[in-house]
Amino acid sequence: MKFKATFEDICVSVVSYLFMGILALSALIPFINIIAKATSEEWAVVSGKVTLWPIGFSLDALKYVVTSSQFLNAFSVSVFVTVAGTFLALLMTAMAAYPLSKKNLWGIKGIIVIYIFTMMFNGGLVPNYLLIRSLKLNNTLWALILPGLINVHNMLIIKNYYESLPDSIEESARIDGASNITILFKIVVPLSVPVFATIALFIAVALWNDYFGPLLYINSPNLKTLQLYLRDIVTNVADDTLQNADDAMNLPTEGVRSATIIASTVPILCVYPFLQKHFVKGILIGSVKG
Amino acid sequence: MTEKSKIRRTKIKKNEVTNSMKSSSRCRALKDIRSNWDIYLMLIPGLLFLLIFKYAPMYGVTIAFQDFNIFQGISGSEWVGLANFRKLIESEEFYRVFFNTLIISLYKIIINFPLPIVIALLLNEIACMPYKKTVQTIIYMPHFLSWIIVGGIFTTILSPSSGLVNQLITALGGESISFMMSNDWFRAILVISAAWKEVGWGAIIYIAAIAGIEQEIYEAASIDGAGKIRKMISITLPGLSSTIILMLILRLGSVLEAGTEQILTMYNSVVYETGDVIGTYVYRMGLGKMEYSFSTAVGLFNSVVGFILITLGNFTSRKLLGKSIW
Repeated sequence: MKFKATFEDICVSVVSYLFMGILALSALIPFINIIAKATSEEWAVVSGKVTLWPIGFSLDALKYVVTSSQFLNAFSVSVFVTVAGTFLALLMTAMAAYPLSKKNLWGIKGIIVIYIFTMMFNGGLVPNYLLIRSLKLNNTLWALILPGLINVHNMLIIKNYYESLPDSIEESARIDGASNITILFKIVVPLSVPVFATIALFIAVALWNDYFGPLLYINSPNLKTLQLYLRDIVTNVADDTLQNADDAMNLPTEGVRSATIIASTVPILCVYPFLQKHFVKGILIGSVKG
Repeated sequence: MTEKSKIRRTKIKKNEVTNSMKSSSRCRALKDIRSNWDIYLMLIPGLLFLLIFKYAPMYGVTIAFQDFNIFQGISGSEWVGLANFRKLIESEEFYRVFFNTLIISLYKIIINFPLPIVIALLLNEIACMPYKKTVQTIIYMPHFLSWIIVGGIFTTILSPSSGLVNQLITALGGESISFMMSNDWFRAILVISAAWKEVGWGAIIYIAAIAGIEQEIYEAASIDGAGKIRKMISITLPGLSSTIILMLILRLGSVLEAGTEQILTMYNSVVYETGDVIGTYVYRMGLGKMEYSFSTAVGLFNSVVGFILITLGNFTSRKLLGKSIW
């Protein structure tokens, strides 16, 4: 059944299309501006002429960034931390979640409470920092990976997924004489690949974007992650009128800054289609427990 | 023994009188552990992790009651009772930081909390699927960028000499503003950049809730002559209300988290007056000035208040909506 559009309906549609269009543009324009700055010639950037289109197209700044040894080093450190960290964290999280999905077993409910309590209360910044120091982990990449091995929120998502698997499959396997371990590896793990993929992406993005960890624990220049390297460049801008002339000479130029921002955004943009799909799924299965 | 009969047994046991509970539960513990020792074994790595990286730092908060010396450790340092908390209450700086935290957080709630709801409502009115998908893809994207990149993008477009915003202001005949160095503007910048990053993403949960509303209700309303605005107010918003209340309760529970990571990338000493929050203060005092005990005291205050708020929020939402995050 079709209804004739009234004046009010048309207004609502127009406002919706316009508002969402403006919103999408305001999300895009800063990017376009940065890309234009990264690909313009230096004089145009400095004189403040570049808006949304590069002036005097030049890839020098980008070339300078992606061939700079500091950038490449920071990039590879970040790749290593993300890959190794995601693998270890997913392994730990998936394993820790399995016993917790067996609520009928004695003591499991108590252990879930022990996990959940850490979501509500934490020791805070300084005790965590002192812990890493006393474990002699500071200035190692382990300091970035180990404290995040189990994120309780992610673990609960996996646990809920395990619980949602039909009991009948497991029962029939048990009748056929399968042990707990066989059931885990032959039935539960293969069925849980979709949730593993989602959580792996959650972990990977968090590790790639993490800068508070590196800021606290990493001093040595060749262990700097990409986010820490970016911070050095970005915070220099925030302070730029405070710097004396000497420092100002050593500041990265605005074109180089923009190029660095672009070069470190590209990896995220490359995997963005996957991220969007799986994150939306993850946020919907994990956000609210009925 | 099959899983099913075990479940049945537990159910029967629950109905038994309480005095026989103790002995039977000990019996059950032994039986469960013996027959599922491999499952219990899998608990160990996780529990070790919790012990070392979560519960050890909780024990570490005891340094808030000490004059902690990093060379002597927790056992060797002198106990000073509540001296650090007395210092905290007397410190003017703490009140400033606490006030900043609350005000920035409240601004973010007032402005950035309703926006995702508006976005979900308006997206729902867009019938052209390619347009809708494109808009969604674009507005979700900033969520995946780190705060460093968002900070870098905003410092670039707000730069007084060559930033996009100031180009627009000067083109319109205004005077260029040094946004990142201005105490009048800094909080607004924090709210806007947080909106830029998270508002689109925040709409997802509402979009899903709208998709769950039955189409028949809308059709019935159309037959009764309701227009789009009427349907939005009388069908969609009531359909969203429980999600909205739940999200608001959760958000209020983290009111003391004003965006430490964000502010740390964007602030500088000129805007400490308006932009310094508890998280950044603890970072500067603790790791910059090495005042370990005092900053742990500040952090403990933060954790305790946060704990109370989250517990209250969760309790309220369970009572009110029968839903909770856990």
